Amino acid sequence: MEPIVSVEKLRMKYPGDESLIFKDLSLTFDQGEKVLLLGPSGCGKSTLLQVLSGLIPNSIEVPMKAEKLKCPSSWGYVFQDPDSQFCMPFADEEIAFVLENLSVPKEEMKEKIENQIRNVGLNLGHTSIETLSGGMKQRLAIASVLALEPEVLFLDEPTAMLDPEGTKEIWDLLKEVGKDKTVIIVEHKIDHVLEFIERIVLLNDDGQIIADGPRDTILSLYKNEMREHGIWFPGVWDEYIQKYAPTREHQFTDGLPLLDVQGFSGFRNKEEKIHVEELKVHSGEWIVIRGENGAGKSTLLHALMQFIKTKGTYELLGNPIKMVKNPTDHMTFVFQNPEFQFVANTVYEEIAYSLRIDKRPQQEIDERVRSLLKVFRLEAHRDKHPFQLSMGQKRRLSVAASIVIDKKIILLDEPTFGQDSKNTFALLEWFEEYRRRGITVIMVTHDEHISKNFATRIWTVKGGNVISDKNIAQAGFVETKVKRSVM
Amino acid sequence: MNVSNAETWLHGINPSLKLGVLIVLCIVALFIHDLNYMMNITIGVLILFLFFTGHSIKRILLLSIPFCFIFISTSSAMILFGQGETLWFEWGLISITEESFMRGLLVGFRALFFAALGLTFSLTTRPVNLFYSLMQQVKLKPKYAYSFMAALRLIPIMMEEFQTIRNAMKVRGFERGKGIRSVYFKMKSYSIPLLSGSIRRAHRIAVAMEAKRFTDTRDRTYYYEFGFSKMDHGFILYFIILLLAGFYLSIQFPLVSI
Repeated sequence: MEPIVSVEKLRMKYPGDESLIFKDLSLTFDQGEKVLLLGPSGCGKSTLLQVLSGLIPNSIEVPMKAEKLKCPSSWGYVFQDPDSQFCMPFADEEIAFVLENLSVPKEEMKEKIENQIRNVGLNLGHTSIETLSGGMKQRLAIASVLALEPEVLFLDEPTAMLDPEGTKEIWDLLKEVGKDKTVIIVEHKIDHVLEFIERIVLLNDDGQIIADGPRDTILSLYKNEMREHGIWFPGVWDEYIQKYAPTREHQFTDGLPLLDVQGFSGFRNKEEKIHVEELKVHSGEWIVIRGENGAGKSTLLHALMQFIKTKGTYELLGNPIKMVKNPTDHMTFVFQNPEFQFVANTVYEEIAYSLRIDKRPQQEIDERVRSLLKVFRLEAHRDKHPFQLSMGQKRRLSVAASIVIDKKIILLDEPTFGQDSKNTFALLEWFEEYRRRGITVIMVTHDEHISKNFATRIWTVKGGNVISDKNIAQAGFVETKVKRSVM
Repeated sequence: MNVSNAETWLHGINPSLKLGVLIVLCIVALFIHDLNYMMNITIGVLILFLFFTGHSIKRILLLSIPFCFIFISTSSAMILFGQGETLWFEWGLISITEESFMRGLLVGFRALFFAALGLTFSLTTRPVNLFYSLMQQVKLKPKYAYSFMAALRLIPIMMEEFQTIRNAMKVRGFERGKGIRSVYFKMKSYSIPLLSGSIRRAHRIAVAMEAKRFTDTRDRTYYYEFGFSKMDHGFILYFIILLLAGFYLSIQFPLVSI
């Protein structure tokens, strides 16, 4: 059978880079195949997907050469970022945009748009895309791709920015709509993908194919390679927990609480968005904040950091928050997108920044920065601009820069989001080490494994209220319910 | 940002036509040097602005505040410092003459006329409709029309990012820096992540658009089709009558005598 997509002896190189991304790579796909491309981050999987679809070099100009390249005539591409794949403000207009590109007559558009939107389980007409959740945006993206009536679907980590719930839903949908199509997938979080695909192509750091074959064979034979490359293969957490069991002991309960809030509310645009009846936080705790998207988890962190207006009692280290001149002297915050935090031109200066503002002596700065560079494995990049780092490195740098001056409390918003397993475990181990030194870690995360294995305490947020507060000691946990309040 | 509103007959006017009429009117206004005439046609436009945009009167008045300010500032400069023969009042540098007062009012009304016209247009025209109509009536290249529409999507995203960067800077102890160096530093730290983020996002949107088979050919179909209707004739007629009647009234019944 003639393959539907194929490439032979592909060679390409990013301008300015010294080495080739791909050297003589050959790959073919048959009609109806469901294939997963796996590899360490930065190995060029997404680039390969773009070459196979023809986006490179037609839309993205990268010098490349291939002895033979066969791109499908009808294809659709789903990207990872829900916010940057639409060009129109309303949902129906976005699908209309695709139909216009295909020169579908205006009379047929309305019906087709309704069909596509219904197909992906959405129920919207003329709805502003801005008001949709991430999961709904990805659904809409799939709907607009399906409007192309593609034979081949390229999926580039379509759920990288979604929570576990959304991830599952999107994959369920993709399985349904991709049934009789050729589907080529790049994805890190593979638990939902595995039952859908039949073939895995495994790449290494240098963009070479190290294995290509049926799913089960690859999964059983190449576990070591996958572990090494930080791929989230099934069972990676269990393996990790057997090797590294966090103690979750909690020895700092006596003494003053670090944070003490009572009848505390946070406001956005004058609307109460989060309410806490009563919570006390002690040193050495690892608190995970759980809840659905939009429940108010991040808002709670923002309220504690005083990014937004708050009311009620809030004491930081025994002082009313209004009397604390700079709450950031005692707490620090790591944002979901590390890029927003960078202020300096080099990795070294980035970490040194807060120390310089604090007017510490040069020698101390140097020592402190060097030790952090080492701990966070960034020594080799000390003179690079922060924006030149990979996503995992950026995340590590943002953490390092935030904790360079010892703070009593670290607040984190989805710190392990979109990270491979290696980076995730490394970050968690650092947090655990800080926690043992008596620093309190408060993090918003969707990752069940973190709440199960690292947290000493779990807050659940629902509809703008903290509805439960579970204390988990090593020997079972004591549950203390927080009074529910009605907004 | 919620700016939903009722639709009025002004919404139904062909957007390209509306834009064309607006440009012509602005040019015409530049050549009107008669205060009475200027006042009459400004009132005509203000009627549209105040009652026919479909927005609540509260929002209309709120939007008028900066334009009242423009009116006062442009006219007062001319009134207080302009030259003229018939002196009304003098105090130091300030000298108000009849001629300067009239010219001041003329300049002020012209500014008000531009503002009211521009606001009326933007309050009654969705950008998407404008670009669709420009593609259909003025044969604007789809490449430009769609890139403008995509760019409009970036604005609210950028505003959100700006807020995040501000918070991030707070965490890093940014507010504590003082002096000119720190201002320069602040500008750099805000603009670089904002710009780099937008450039990356714009590039991604562009690739996504091409992945959806967007090409710069004109033989595409349109989800929204715009033509001309009776309402468009009415719209043009309104302004023709306004210009003629304004001129007639300014001669027969001048509001101020010069």
